[in-house]
Amino acid sequence: MAEEDLSEMAKDVELHLKLDPPLSANNKPSRSFKTSSSSSPPPCDTSHVLENVLENVLKFLESRRDRNAVSLVCRSWYRVEAQTRSEVFIGNCYSLSPARLARRFTRVRSLFLKGKPRFADFNLMPPDWGARFAPWVAVTAKAYPWLEKVTLKRMFVTDDDLALLAASFPGFKELVLLCCEGFGTSGVAVVANKCRQLKVLDLIESEVTDDEVDWISCFPEGETHLESLSFDCVESPINFKALERLVVRSPFLKKLRTNRFVSLEELHRLMVRAPQLTSLGTGSFSSSTENAGQGEQEPDYASAFRACRSLVCLSGFRELAAEYLPAISPVCANLTSINFSYANISPDVFRPIIRNCHNVRVFWALDSICDEGLQAVAATCKELRELRIFPFDPSEDSEGPVSGLGLQAISEGCRKLESILYFCQRMTNVAVTAMSENCPQLTVFRLCIMGRHRPDHVTGKPMDDGFGAIVKNCKKLTRLAVSGLLTDKAFSLIGEYGKLIRTLSVAFAGDSDMGLRYILEGCPKLEKLEIRDSPFGDAGLRSGMHRYNDMRFVWMSSCRLSRGSCSDIARALPSVVVEVFGSDDDDVDVDEDNADYVEILYMYRSLDGPRKDAPKFVTIL
Amino acid sequence: MEGCPRNRETCPKLLDLIHQERKWYHDEEKNNADQEKKLELRLAPPGGDEEDGSAMKKKNIDTRNNIKKEAEEKSIFNLSGNHFSSSNKTTYAPPHISHKRTAPGPVVGWPPVRSFRKNLASSSSSKLGNDQINKSGDEEKQVQPKREGMFVKINMDSVPIGRKVDLNAYSGYEQLSFAVDKLFRGLLAAQRDASGGEGEGKPIIGLLDGKGEFTLTYEDNEGDKMLVGDVPWQMFVSSVKRLRVIKSSEISSALRFGCSKQDKMKN
Repeated sequence: MAEEDLSEMAKDVELHLKLDPPLSANNKPSRSFKTSSSSSPPPCDTSHVLENVLENVLKFLESRRDRNAVSLVCRSWYRVEAQTRSEVFIGNCYSLSPARLARRFTRVRSLFLKGKPRFADFNLMPPDWGARFAPWVAVTAKAYPWLEKVTLKRMFVTDDDLALLAASFPGFKELVLLCCEGFGTSGVAVVANKCRQLKVLDLIESEVTDDEVDWISCFPEGETHLESLSFDCVESPINFKALERLVVRSPFLKKLRTNRFVSLEELHRLMVRAPQLTSLGTGSFSSSTENAGQGEQEPDYASAFRACRSLVCLSGFRELAAEYLPAISPVCANLTSINFSYANISPDVFRPIIRNCHNVRVFWALDSICDEGLQAVAATCKELRELRIFPFDPSEDSEGPVSGLGLQAISEGCRKLESILYFCQRMTNVAVTAMSENCPQLTVFRLCIMGRHRPDHVTGKPMDDGFGAIVKNCKKLTRLAVSGLLTDKAFSLIGEYGKLIRTLSVAFAGDSDMGLRYILEGCPKLEKLEIRDSPFGDAGLRSGMHRYNDMRFVWMSSCRLSRGSCSDIARALPSVVVEVFGSDDDDVDVDEDNADYVEILYMYRSLDGPRKDAPKFVTIL
Repeated sequence: MEGCPRNRETCPKLLDLIHQERKWYHDEEKNNADQEKKLELRLAPPGGDEEDGSAMKKKNIDTRNNIKKEAEEKSIFNLSGNHFSSSNKTTYAPPHISHKRTAPGPVVGWPPVRSFRKNLASSSSSKLGNDQINKSGDEEKQVQPKREGMFVKINMDSVPIGRKVDLNAYSGYEQLSFAVDKLFRGLLAAQRDASGGEGEGKPIIGLLDGKGEFTLTYEDNEGDKMLVGDVPWQMFVSSVKRLRVIKSSEISSALRFGCSKQDKMKN
C-alpha cells in the first residue's frame, strides 16, 4: 500500500475494525478480540499478560511504518500500539483533526507536523491559506502535558502559539521550525525563557519577523541544557555579548548556527569558547568594518578551526570574504557536510579547499563553482551521498556556469550518490543518462533546467530519453522532479518504470492529458504529485479517480482544469478534500465568465472532512 | 509543447512595441480611451471584433493548441500585462494574468528557489560594509511581489509579544486606535496581573490625544519617531513603517509640545 502515515493507517483501521463508534452488543457475532468500550471485565488473565508483553515489545519499535503495520493486526494490538507510540508524524496537518490525534494516541512525546504543500515556498499559494499551528497546540497542551519535541514544517506559527507551547509543556526539550512563518523574535524569546529543559532550538529557513526583542538574553541564567541552537535564517541582529555568554554556559552545545549578523571576529570568539562543536554555522564569514584595514592583529582563524576537533558540519558563509576561506582547511578532512550555498565562490578559490574534503557526504553549493568545481568534487568526494547545486543568478536567461559536463563528472566520480538537486541552464540527455548508469543508488533525482521547455542543447531533442533512463536504471528512485522540454513520452516512461516513486514534481512539461494519465495509471507508489503550468486537463484528472484516496495530496496549478471535473472528484471521493482557489487572495469575487477555470487545485485525503478554517478565497467543493 | 496560461491574446501588432517599450510606457500615460481599447488584451486579431475579454478566456480553454504562436505572443503579453496593471500601484505588483506565460519575463515561482536565495547576486557585490549588507536583507523580502494588505508591526511597552496590523483595514485613526485596544488589552492585563487575570482589563484609551496612560507612536520611512494622529490618514499610511505604543510619561517634552518634524511639515 502507499505510504503508511498516521492518517492512512487510521483510515484503514477505521474501515476494517470499526473502532468509532463502539460496537453494539446486539447484532455483532462474537469476535475474538475485545472492544475497548466493553464494560465487563476481560474474560481471562492471559489476554492482560499478552498485552503487557506486547507493550514491552512494542516499546522498541520506532519506525512508523512498522507501527502502522502492527496496529492493523487486531484491536488489542491497535490499542497497545496506540498507547506506546511516542513519536507521531503527520504528513498533512489537514488530513485529520487534532482531536482525533488525541483520541488515538495517549502518550505522545514527539510531534512532527507538515502543513502547506511545497509549492507554497515559491509564492504559488496566496498568503493566509492556513496550516495554522494554533489548533494543534491548543489540543496537545491538554492531551500531552509531557510533550517534549515539536517539529513543524511549512506551518503558520504565531507568537501566541509559541507562548502557549512554552507555558504548557514543562518538560519541553526540542523545537524545530522548518520553513515556517507567522512568528517573530518575541515568540522565540518566550520559548527561550520559559522552556527550562530546552535542548534544541532550530529555526531553519523560516521567516522570523524582527520584533526588536533581544531573545538571546532571554535564555535563563545558569547552565543550560542546550545542545543545538540554529538561527541562521533570522534576519535581524542579535546581542553578541549575550550569545557569547550563552555559549560559555552551555557545556552540552554541539550545534551552533549563527546568522549573517555575526562577523568573523565574533565567530572566532565563539569557536574559542566552544571547541566541542560538531556543527557550525559560520554567519557572515567576513570581517566587520571596524577592523578592516586598521592593521590590528587579526585573530588566528585557522587555529580556532584546528581546535575544533569534532567539527564535521560547516555552513553559513553568508557574506563570504574569500580570502578567509582557507582558514577552514584544518577541519576539511573531517567534514562530512558542507553548505556553501550562500557563498559566491569561484572555481579558483574552491578547488584548493575541496581537495582535502575526502569525507564529505553532503555538499550544497552555488553554481558559481562551475563545472570545474564539480569536477574537483568528483575527484575528491568519493563518499558523496547528497549534492545540491543552487543558482547564483536564478533567472531564465543567465549565463549558466554548470551544465551536463559537471553532472556527468559527478556521476563518474561519486558513485555512491543517493540524492541530487541540480539547477542549470542547459542539459543533455547524454549527461542525464550517464548519471542514471553510474549512480544506481539514486533515490532522489531533481533536475531543474531553468529555461522553460528547453530541449537538449546539443541535439535539440526533448529531454525524454534522459529522464527515461533515470527511471529505468535507478531502481531505488523515490523522488523525481523533471524539467526542460518533455513530451508525453517522458511521462509514459515515468509511469511505467517509476515503480517506487512517491513524490513527483512537474513544471511546464507534457503535451496532453495522456501525460497525466500515464502517471496516474502507472507509478503505483505515488503519494505526492505537484504539477504546474502543464497542459493536463479534466480527462487526465479523472483518470486518477481510483488513486486519490491513497495519495497524500495532488497539486495542480495553471493547468487546464475546470470546476466541473473537480466537483465530480469531490462528489465521488468523500474522503478527499478538494480545494480550488486562485493565486490572488483578493480574487474573492469570481469573474463570472471565468468561473469555470481552476487556477489552483489542491486536494488531499482527510479523515475529518473539509477544514473549518479555510479563508474566503478558497472554495472547498 | 508548452504549458498554457489562462489568458492569451493574439495582437501581433504589439510586437513592434517591444523595442520601444520605454516610449510606449510614456505614451500609455497619455492614452485616451480609444487607444487603450486597441491595445487591450484580446484573442481576436487587431481591428477585429470587440469581443468581451472574459469570453475570450473561456475560449482559451478550448483552443490551446497553437503553441508556437504563443511563444511570440507571450513576450508581448507580459509587457502589456505590466503596463496595464493598475496605475495606482507604486510598487511592482503584476496582475495575475501575467503569470501564465512561458516566454522571457518573470514568472511567479520560477525557477523554484526560495526567496532568500533570490538576491545573492546583488548582496554579494556589496561586501564592504555591514550596513549595506543589512539593507539588502530587507530588499530580499520586497523583491517578491506580495499582494497582501499593508501590515506593520506594532509593539507595546511592557508586553513582550508584538503584533501586526493591516493598515488597509482601517479608514482612519479612530479605527486604528480601537484596534490597538482590542489587540493589547488582554495582553497588557495578563502582564500586569500575575495571578492570571480576571477578565479583560482596562480599556486602552487616549492613545491619540496624549491623555491616556499610553500613546501611539510610529516610526516613519526616514527613521523618525513621531506621534500618531497629526498628519492626514493617507499620508500616515504611506510613510509609516512600524508602530509602538509607549507610556505617555515617556514622551519627551520636545515631542509633546510639538517641536517635531510634523510641525515643520505643517508650517
